[in-house]
Amino acid sequence: MEQVNQEDWLDRELREAAPYIDDQGFTARVLQELPAPRRGHDLLRAVILLGMTFLASVLAYVVSGGGRFVSVTLERLAALPALWVFVLALASGLMIAAVGATAAISQGRASQT
Amino acid sequence: MELTDADLVARVLVDDDQNAFGELVRRHQSAVRGLLRQLTRTDVALADDLAQQTFLRAYKNIRSFRGEARFSTWLYRIAYNCFREDARRRKELVGIDEEQLQAQHDSQVANPGLRHDLMRALNLLPLNERSAVLLCCQNGLSHDEAARVLDIPLGTVKTNVLRGREKLKRMLADWGPN
Repeated sequence: MEQVNQEDWLDRELREAAPYIDDQGFTARVLQELPAPRRGHDLLRAVILLGMTFLASVLAYVVSGGGRFVSVTLERLAALPALWVFVLALASGLMIAAVGATAAISQGRASQT
Repeated sequence: MELTDADLVARVLVDDDQNAFGELVRRHQSAVRGLLRQLTRTDVALADDLAQQTFLRAYKNIRSFRGEARFSTWLYRIAYNCFREDARRRKELVGIDEEQLQAQHDSQVANPGLRHDLMRALNLLPLNERSAVLLCCQNGLSHDEAARVLDIPLGTVKTNVLRGREKLKRMLADWGPN
């Protein structure tokens, strides 16, 4: 039992002999020494995304018979009553605004952390 | 919700997010600097240089962190390697050996007290025992984790901890419970 007490005492003293060390600019000094962030990585990602978008657009154009669906859709929209066109435009605008606001909020949170 | 170390490492890996790496440094700087201060026998400037080197090396090699061990264990291993390399280099360059370091340290210890006696006793331990005791008893690593950090067999770690503790108990017998 005495040995157990002595071991506990030794462990406690060892832990207490290592108090928390304040940062005092240490993290800032480390971050200053880091190499510049990889910009090439972001560029590659952008190129891949744009390339895929372009390919998908070309594929959609070819598969849809030269984009005939666009003129057909426009004709249908023109045939709709004005109120319906207004409601569709409003719904599209609201949807885009909601997506934009969500993206902005999540970006703000990420930069805060 | 606070991000885990694994989340922050993922951000560094995917986005090269230096803010996430900064958070990792903030979380672990005290433990890493504390360990290095003990290993360098309270040479604060050298310990902080080695700690900085540790984090820079961690950033450059973060892809080699596979998440099998805790991030802190991985950092301790890098810190210990930095310390060993520096000690080897210093010994080669200026011929400093353990006895010289001890003599230097002895002259600095002026205040009596349990904490000083403990630090002095720790510094009198051979490096292998001191490292094992610091990692297991002070920093709370398991024997298995300490074996990974020190890159030695598990049995050797257990032996070093046992021997180190025995020596500390003998040296600090006057302070222990009766």
